[in-house]
Amino acid sequence: MKKLGILLILAAVVLGFLFPLYTGPYPLHVMTTVLTYMALGLSWDMMLRTGQLSFGTAGFFGLGSYAALLTTLYLGLNPLASIFVGGIFSAIVAFGLGYAILRLREIYFAITTLALAGVFTVVARNLHDFTGGPEGKILPSAIFNGDPTKVYWLTFLIALGTILVSEIFQRTRIRFAITAIRNDEITAKSSGVDIFKYLLFVFVITSAIQGVVGGAYAQQYGFVSPESAFSTNFLLLPIAMCLAGGIYSTLGPVIGSVILGVLSEYLKLRFPYGHLIVYGVIIVAIVLFMPHGILGILKKMVQKARTGVGGNGNEK
Amino acid sequence: MAETKTHGHHRFILPLLAIVALILIFIFKPYAVIYGIQRGSLYALIAMPLALTLGIVGILNLAHGDFLTLGAYIAYWIFNSTGLDPLLSIFIVAPLLFAVGAGLYKITVSKVLKAPLLNQLLLTFGIAMILEEAINLIWTSRPRNVYVDYASASASIGGFRFGTYEFSYLLAAVGVLVLLRLFLKRTRLGKAAFAVGQNPRGAKIVGINVEMIYLLIFSISVGIVGIAAGLVLPRMSIFPLFGSPFTLKSFCLAAMAGLGNLTGILWSGLVLGIGEALVQSFEGYSGWSDIVFFGVLIAVITIRSYRGSYV
Repeated sequence: MKKLGILLILAAVVLGFLFPLYTGPYPLHVMTTVLTYMALGLSWDMMLRTGQLSFGTAGFFGLGSYAALLTTLYLGLNPLASIFVGGIFSAIVAFGLGYAILRLREIYFAITTLALAGVFTVVARNLHDFTGGPEGKILPSAIFNGDPTKVYWLTFLIALGTILVSEIFQRTRIRFAITAIRNDEITAKSSGVDIFKYLLFVFVITSAIQGVVGGAYAQQYGFVSPESAFSTNFLLLPIAMCLAGGIYSTLGPVIGSVILGVLSEYLKLRFPYGHLIVYGVIIVAIVLFMPHGILGILKKMVQKARTGVGGNGNEK
Repeated sequence: MAETKTHGHHRFILPLLAIVALILIFIFKPYAVIYGIQRGSLYALIAMPLALTLGIVGILNLAHGDFLTLGAYIAYWIFNSTGLDPLLSIFIVAPLLFAVGAGLYKITVSKVLKAPLLNQLLLTFGIAMILEEAINLIWTSRPRNVYVDYASASASIGGFRFGTYEFSYLLAAVGVLVLLRLFLKRTRLGKAAFAVGQNPRGAKIVGINVEMIYLLIFSISVGIVGIAAGLVLPRMSIFPLFGSPFTLKSFCLAAMAGLGNLTGILWSGLVLGIGEALVQSFEGYSGWSDIVFFGVLIAVITIRSYRGSYV
């Protein structure tokens, strides 16, 4: 069973990597978008696993976008290197802010991250000379001269890296600390888990991922503006995708982003205005009716099938 | 509605600060005071119902501002199809939003009252999304406005002219505040609601129908937003995301005033309204005015967390 799983994962990675060789530019573009949201969704879910609901995804995404684009523009930094600068910049900001805001819980943390994203937007919009104000800044050329295959591979690697980080979080002792914090903070604290340290660690790592994704996104178009970089889409869509797939896991956000990403692309063609309503409906429906998402349903089905066919409920 | 007594001192500090600031600013920037009072009252008018739901039902409604958008579009639609004055249409819009609130509460909110906070937040976040996108779907993103002649009324004091219509926000905010306070303090139902806010379990034990109170308060809150919707339409362009910034601003005022302190919301609204107008009055820096609310919100929450109690 386990071997089959590894084989399946390997096959998915190879298929994903070779994707550009057997499709045209349009599916490639759709998949690039899907992978962007996949990485964002995973990073959001990683933070959520600690019990902290962050609404700052779009904020750190935007910070990374600006950091990457502006370092290329002003310092002539290689676009690929600038993407890392985007991640590092978001990480540094998250580290500094984390000290102040990671003591907050529940709605107060969520609202504060939302407000911070608002502050970032206002700053980006108003530092006219530096950020280009509301119009933003344009690079003379997009990364890889806009070659869609290379852009896809870049996004693919970022998403793959995020999946790896997420799995490391799930498989090492970090997971126990995180889950303990989420389930019962006081017990975790009294068992010697340094809650603040872990929260800060996860907050910085996830913000760095969001920064890298933002950097790659900005370089992909060679353009950054407050509306594009801090768009609520980068907050809303990843959340909807994670919820649809199933939260608190790596596989859930991956499944969710592929299904919803492709679905939304189709809907965008059908209804140019307001197709995002589907995301709202999905969020509400999932919260009300299936809190464990698609993954939860799949697991239940597998369990049922096993107990049904094998006739032995204890088998695992 | 808990912890009223621990933060009672705000009732004295905030008005005092407001008056001092008012005099100082009025000397240098008279416009900032007038515009600030006008917009500040609007913020307070919209924030009071959010605080009411937060305090009594215990739900932070992230779709709060989007109900304002919905109400304004309904008033716009009524105006366009019947020519009914937006101010008069309040008498249709507010009850309609009350009904929408009741329906939404029944279908969705009541299902997550006992669920983890995450679910509650995500639910209202999803509802916000649905409202915004539904409006986008029906009316597209093109800004809409109506023209009524009284909305451009103006007056002048000592040489500067300013719009007077916006003082209706102040009237409405004070009116809603007085009515809400009377309701919570004087009526049987209001007292029951107040008790539920203080201690839902205790309220249930003494025989209060907690579910019914939640339904009522949630619906009243959405209904009050309908009043604001009719008021703003004559003066502002509306678009699908028109109301959404009001959600965070409302929460900011609620946090600043402390839960259960409705009067404090009006004062907080005036202070931040004037603060915003002040920033806007500096040429070249008007774009920074949005940072006032965000900054105060972050500061208030963070400082309170160090003191050990958020609100």
